[in-house]
Amino acid sequence: MKFTHTATVAASRDRVWAKLMDIPAAARCVPGVASVRAAGSDKYLGTLAVQVGPVRLVLDGDLVVTARDEKAGTASVKADAKDSRVGGAIRATMALHLSEKEDETELRIATDLAVMGRIGEFGQAVIKRKADQLMQDFADCLARQVMR
Amino acid sequence: MAGGTATVLLMRQGLLRPAHVVSLRTIDGLSGIARTPQGGLRIGAMATHRAVERSDAARGYSPALVDAFASVATVRIRNQATVGGNLAHADPAQDPPPMLAALNATITVRSPRGERTEAVETLAVDHFTTSLSHDEVITSVLLPPILPGTREVYLKFLPQTADDYATVSVAATLRFADDATVADVRIVLGAVGPTTIRAKRVEDALRGARPTPERIRDAAALVRDEVDPLDDLRGSADYKREMARVWTERALAALTR
Amino acid sequence: MSTHRLRFTLNGTPRELEIAADRLLIDVIRDDCGATGTKLGCGVGICGTCSVLVDGELVSACLVPAVFVDGRSLTTVEGLAQDGELTPLQDAFIRDGGFQCGICTPGQLIAATALLREHPRPDGREIRDWMMGNLCRCTGYYGIERGPGGGAVGGGLGGSAPQVCRELRLSRAALAGRRARSSHAVR
Repeated sequence: MKFTHTATVAASRDRVWAKLMDIPAAARCVPGVASVRAAGSDKYLGTLAVQVGPVRLVLDGDLVVTARDEKAGTASVKADAKDSRVGGAIRATMALHLSEKEDETELRIATDLAVMGRIGEFGQAVIKRKADQLMQDFADCLARQVMR
Repeated sequence: MAGGTATVLLMRQGLLRPAHVVSLRTIDGLSGIARTPQGGLRIGAMATHRAVERSDAARGYSPALVDAFASVATVRIRNQATVGGNLAHADPAQDPPPMLAALNATITVRSPRGERTEAVETLAVDHFTTSLSHDEVITSVLLPPILPGTREVYLKFLPQTADDYATVSVAATLRFADDATVADVRIVLGAVGPTTIRAKRVEDALRGARPTPERIRDAAALVRDEVDPLDDLRGSADYKREMARVWTERALAALTR
Repeated sequence: MSTHRLRFTLNGTPRELEIAADRLLIDVIRDDCGATGTKLGCGVGICGTCSVLVDGELVSACLVPAVFVDGRSLTTVEGLAQDGELTPLQDAFIRDGGFQCGICTPGQLIAATALLREHPRPDGREIRDWMMGNLCRCTGYYGIERGPGGGAVGGGLGGSAPQVCRELRLSRAALAGRRARSSHAVR
């Protein structure tokens, strides 16, 4: 499933870019992310805990920055994670784009999310809404972080 | 575990892997259905849907409420699933919660810290997520006396099979003032958002005025901006949004005939 | 995994079993009690194939934790006929073509038995509303719907059954509901 999120930050594109490219710090803006650590260049390991009602997923995985272009303000990220207890996995490819407008920067994230195994049992509606919430929270949090 | 219909499915799917399961079945005093001295209705959290469906007390209180419970799935599910379990499960497509909310129902919740009450309308905060803490148990549902002159209706739109969840459902109550204007109206929709949706803008557009067909049509159209449906096998988001309008209008027409 | 000792009656016969707490009724009926007349279909409570009666109430055995049957009476399809005598309902199913492959039949019979206890003379609508939860891939439902009509009258294509059949010239989709449920209360 695909969705797009945007956030506007009252800061220069350079500052937003710097914050975004500090992957461990930026990742902490996703609610439920824990123990993000570097594992080679442009690769990071971590876990994401997601709760839907009584069901709790703990997704273990990695995130790889597959492309970055500071001049153009674009970057691509791929994340793979699985919950071995529940028996399911997710793969997300995200295309990030920063564009400057006067004193503000617009951060746009286009996500393509694939859900595999048991996690699919939640149904598209619930997964989409959950992913929606996470990505919007990430974008809003990043915007706040930059302002500090 | 209450009736077990939802919990067993979640466990079979491997999504729920509890270390301990406590059954509420053997706790006394949680299954009664009776009118209160004030004319309301109290339903024990462990009462089954079928018990409500067959209850003279419930039917005497509100046939529309009985209909909402009778609309759920099949007889088999209704024999097993409980009123409290239904509310705690917080599936936005379920039938009873919109009607309970339209009737101003509250739940009593018990925990080691004592008892508290909460409106059914605000209990569900998201898909399958309630405001209940992990150590809280719903013990009963209380419906207040219905004021004289109030009409109630529950409409369920299912384009596919009769045992399914709704594409959209509308639960509504309406009370006329002496001058034939709308004294009060409550409209709650199911299956068109992450929780039930109270159509406040539609209500505001009707209160204090005579509910002519034109006024009803215009008011119902406002519901399109109040719902937040998603695409699924019961309809696209656009289709559900439009059906929310159509069935809100029909519910209001039924209440004002 | 904790275990529980269950004491219940199965088709009138007292049974006692020690089972793991997470067992489902459908598996205990078939595997532990050897009563394989009850079939497992969808496993999610929709198809009605695993219908059984617990204290006379119709439930899906695939959704009921086995521990819930402690102290209660369980009726499966094997418990319908008494001393080898088929019930009028079972006769009606045979006579009126109420089954073909037979996989849904135990569930249909149990559901129809429960229907007749609740509504001894069900009309077409009551039959449809009650039986709509039991799916069948073979028959197209006409023979199944005749069953409760014929069974209720106690044998022979009697009473209103043929009448009901004539009125039921509908596809399953139409039967199941291209109409909304509604209730209307005016005080």
